[in-house]
Amino acid sequence: MDPLVAKIATWGSAGSVAARRQAATSESPLVKWILIGIAVAFLVVFLLAPLGIVFGTAFEHGILPYFRSFADPDTQSAIRLTLIAAVISVPLNIVFGLCAAWAIGKFDFPGRSLLITLIDLPFSVSPVVAGLVYVLLFGLQGFFGPWLMAHGIHIIFAVPGIVLVTIFVTFPFVARELLPMMQAQGNDEEEAALTLGAGGWQTFRYITLPNVRWALIYGVILCNARAMGEFGAVAVVSGHIQGLTNTMPLQVEFLYDDYQFVPAFAVASLLAMLALATLVVKSVVEARTEI
Amino acid sequence: MSISVRGVTKHFGAFTALDNVDLEVEPGKLVALLGPSGSGKTTLLRIIAGLEFADAGEIRFDGTDMANRKTGERRVGFVFQHYALFRHMTVFDNIAFGLRVRPRSTRPSESDIRRKVGDLLDLIQLQTLASRYPSQLSGGQRQRVALARALAVEPRVLLLDEPFGALDAKVRLELRRWLRHLHDEVNITSLFVTHDQEEALEVADSVAVMNEGKFEQIGTPAEVYENPATSFVFKFLGNVNLFHGRIDNGVTYIQQTATDHVVFVRPHLLDIVRQAPSHGNNAFQATIVHINAAGPLVKIEAQAEWGARVQVEMPQQHFRDLGLNKGEQVFVVPHELAVFKNGEVKETANS
Repeated sequence: MDPLVAKIATWGSAGSVAARRQAATSESPLVKWILIGIAVAFLVVFLLAPLGIVFGTAFEHGILPYFRSFADPDTQSAIRLTLIAAVISVPLNIVFGLCAAWAIGKFDFPGRSLLITLIDLPFSVSPVVAGLVYVLLFGLQGFFGPWLMAHGIHIIFAVPGIVLVTIFVTFPFVARELLPMMQAQGNDEEEAALTLGAGGWQTFRYITLPNVRWALIYGVILCNARAMGEFGAVAVVSGHIQGLTNTMPLQVEFLYDDYQFVPAFAVASLLAMLALATLVVKSVVEARTEI
Repeated sequence: MSISVRGVTKHFGAFTALDNVDLEVEPGKLVALLGPSGSGKTTLLRIIAGLEFADAGEIRFDGTDMANRKTGERRVGFVFQHYALFRHMTVFDNIAFGLRVRPRSTRPSESDIRRKVGDLLDLIQLQTLASRYPSQLSGGQRQRVALARALAVEPRVLLLDEPFGALDAKVRLELRRWLRHLHDEVNITSLFVTHDQEEALEVADSVAVMNEGKFEQIGTPAEVYENPATSFVFKFLGNVNLFHGRIDNGVTYIQQTATDHVVFVRPHLLDIVRQAPSHGNNAFQATIVHINAAGPLVKIEAQAEWGARVQVEMPQQHFRDLGLNKGEQVFVVPHELAVFKNGEVKETANS
């Protein structure tokens, strides 16, 4: 045996009884540190380094240029549009997700598994394809195009199109979080509420909803993060009109391609902070659900 | 309030859970629905509560058809097998739930609710745990909270689904006696489902034995135990020795070669003697193979002359008087035979 390995191995076995007992159920220190090392290296290269570069580049020329980036009206418009898309799509997905998870989790009906598959569809379809489908449906040459044109309604290359694809892409998030929870909890508590004289709405409001509240919050966070960060599908339907139909991710791409690195990374840092905030809320929520 | 179940049938796909069953529960009685799992007893309870709907037949409360009444309108207190307590509410809020969801016109004031819940907490002896959550309670405590929650809405009928099924043996025993006392106190028409014959016989005023979606027998605990109507009831209510036999001129003979009748004898109705009894038609020779002398009754396993094992139970005193030993050759004398043919009682004869 390599002398170093032998030395490391004795660290684990020497010392108190407790340490020896622990050694019986865990890997040797060498294996432990190799595995931890690989995990840490992976995290640094793929997560921490990119995050550092985003913030590093954003603050390359100091704080003032960073904040000056947000004075650009086009950037402000992009932030506003991203917020609009999220504010519309997230509540709609909450309503839809609750309805779908409730129906699938608590009842058995024909077409149930088909519905589950349909909910998962946006996960399996490339966002670009999703965007293209909307163009084919609502675009000028599309199925509804002539009718929409005749009535002066603009969907593609306009805000409604961006909202529509955002809803499509974020479709599964809330339902997928709620479904396992609702299935695991069964119907017992709801039935108990019914026998105690509660109506359908009261049962939902006081029993079903509170029981899934943390899963719901988690689903909403994920849904929101995706709604704000979506690129592919939005890129197809947006038309990239500066100050009108550019969302934050599209604005980042535009600024970067325009060699405006500080503003590009400044906007990107907002999205990164959203991701960090999401992680914080997620860990808080997970700590709460364990109770 | 009386409950009457008439001609209720329920299918789940190809499976018949209930097959045209009838049941009358008199006001203020505590009735046990006893049967093995899958016999349809829980389904019947859920149909009475309105949580499930019958394919045919009717449920009447005091003569009023319940077909179009929703669960909430039936005013039944339902206690679920796994309690179904609201996990995000305290014990107090769980019990108060049924009062708080009432429409404003019939809802008691918050101070009345407080008093009412306080009374119920006294009744279940859990006053100190009002602000705990269900996950912080033991199984027996949860069960009592579930019962208090059901009683809070002043139900006309109390329905309990395997109320003690998930508890350990000692708590079970305590709680079922407590339930009996509680029933005597509040005197509400109650129906409870169990697969434990001891529980049913000890607690209930009347026992309805179910098997494969039908009632085998309905009667007082003494009736069903002493005079089982069918071989199923006989076998289900306690240990039993099975023999083959025949009937000649009204007299039953145990005979292993006979095939037309089945003879059941409870272990405590078999006696052991040393001398071959002169008049005993049905005494047979056997060898003692095992003796379990722990407990109030001594349990003896003996091998009959034709090779089958029989179980005998006798009081400690009698066992000591006889001074039996393992391996000894003795005679076994049956005192009471129950003879069945095609599942029906033919005759109960003394040998």
